[in-house]
Amino acid sequence: MSARSGQPGKALSLGLKHLAYLIIAFIFVLPLWWAIVSSLRPNSAIFADIFPFTPKALLPAPFTLEAYTGIFERGFGLIIANTMLVALVTMAAGLIVNGAAGFAFAMFDFKGKKFILSAIIISFMLPFEAIALPLYTVTQQLGWLDNIAALIVPSVANGLAVFLFYQFFSQVPKDYAEAARLDGVSWIDILLRIYVPLSLPTCISAALLLFIFQWEAFLWPLLAMPSQQFKVIQVGMAAFQQQYQTIWNQLFAVSVITALIPIALLLPLQRYYVQGLAGAGIKG
Amino acid sequence: MFRSRTPVLLIAALLAPALIGLVVFRLYPVALAVSDSFFNMVRGQQLFVGFDNYLSLLSDRTFWKSMQVTFWFNLLINPIQIALALGLALLYVQQFRGVTLYRVLFLIPIGVSLPTAVIIWRIMLTQDGLVNGLIGIAGVPAQPWLTSESLALYSIIAIATWKGISYWMIFIIGGLQTISPEIYDAARLDGVKPWQRLIFITIPLLRPTLLFVLVADVSINFLLFAPIFMLTQGGPADSTNVLMYEAYKSGFIFGDMGRAMAIIVVVVAILLIIVAAQFKLLSGREARQ
Repeated sequence: MSARSGQPGKALSLGLKHLAYLIIAFIFVLPLWWAIVSSLRPNSAIFADIFPFTPKALLPAPFTLEAYTGIFERGFGLIIANTMLVALVTMAAGLIVNGAAGFAFAMFDFKGKKFILSAIIISFMLPFEAIALPLYTVTQQLGWLDNIAALIVPSVANGLAVFLFYQFFSQVPKDYAEAARLDGVSWIDILLRIYVPLSLPTCISAALLLFIFQWEAFLWPLLAMPSQQFKVIQVGMAAFQQQYQTIWNQLFAVSVITALIPIALLLPLQRYYVQGLAGAGIKG
Repeated sequence: MFRSRTPVLLIAALLAPALIGLVVFRLYPVALAVSDSFFNMVRGQQLFVGFDNYLSLLSDRTFWKSMQVTFWFNLLINPIQIALALGLALLYVQQFRGVTLYRVLFLIPIGVSLPTAVIIWRIMLTQDGLVNGLIGIAGVPAQPWLTSESLALYSIIAIATWKGISYWMIFIIGGLQTISPEIYDAARLDGVKPWQRLIFITIPLLRPTLLFVLVADVSINFLLFAPIFMLTQGGPADSTNVLMYEAYKSGFIFGDMGRAMAIIVVVVAILLIIVAAQFKLLSGREARQ
């Protein structure tokens, strides 16, 4: 949208452009920023400087770390560790399971392949919420309620991840595999030695997808862990919110930690995440 | 490909874990929801009641009110989210010095989970919270964003939109990248104005991507649960009581799984009809590239 007319006009349009981007970026950043700032204030000062509004409301003054020490005293460290465990195990198992399936779909022709592939695509279009209630009954039948397996196993097989791997492996020229086959290399070796190293970017986007899915899971852990002996972060946070309604600074501290961990993963790896999802959207 | 020596066992071994997982934890629950909706629990015994759970929904005013809320919510949130995501994607793909920083900032809500976003926004939207402080600069009186019957649903729409559009933007960026720059160059030579370019070139060429986003976005919003659970519990006065929450309440608060499953089946069936209609209306008319 660049107007290439004379210097002053260009400078003006660039200035307006930056202003527009700044306003939008401000709206995106403001909630998280305010949460960070407020988590670093004493609880009594959370709503200071708001009526009437002064820019000081957006600075962490007076500064204190008491909210963070407070939430760890309430056992939030364990909740984070629990969620990490669930997310990392799901991620590792999911990469293997979905990668293998994607590889099989890309490399081989077999009866019913088209049908199964479209069923998988439909399966990831249907949000998890749609099956959460009946999945509760399945979990009950398996005897997994209140068992960590209930959080991990149902989320390992992921249609979108299968699709990402399928899409990537289909683009790899078949010559590699053919040449290796002629040399008598086994399929497993072809997969592990040639295809897995090539697919590193896809592995990263699938891993992010699986990790974030588990990190953000809310309805399912709420249902699958009725006694809440083993709490994951989103449920722990919601419970915290109901229990300590007005300990604002600790609520903010909990939110900040919950948000910063996936953001810390996403920012350096955003290229893979964006490319992976964007590619899936075009095909879908 | 390698049709002559297809290693059947290997294919089976590679596919089995993913397929078994999807069948047991995706397909089977759907079947179970349908079958459970024909039963009621009476004193610990599953009792077959046929279509009773569905028939009683027909005359159930809470259910119809909830249906109305769900539809109104979706009629607003989906067009808003998609239009904003498209606008944001158009900004994201611009090239100029400093744009990289904005791109990173645009992605921030993706890292903030919906429950986290809800907690932060809830405090921002309290009577003496930041939002009321900011509108106070313009002299607007403080609003009861989450506790008034007339505002709560719109506040939830705003929160979910803040959280959602970055995610949908990513898919639209993918679509924008497939449009060849030569088309734009040709358009510029023909003197096409930017807004004409958007309506007559970009949006038609983005049709497959927009269709995907529309379908995926509607599916998520039709089943949205976390913000309602955390913020309003369906209130005030059932003004935010969407069907998904009504089903949860039915099954897990009132212990009526039969009714809960019947609602879920109805919701998913409506969703499938909407999705099918979207495909029929939007994908057929123009050739897909």
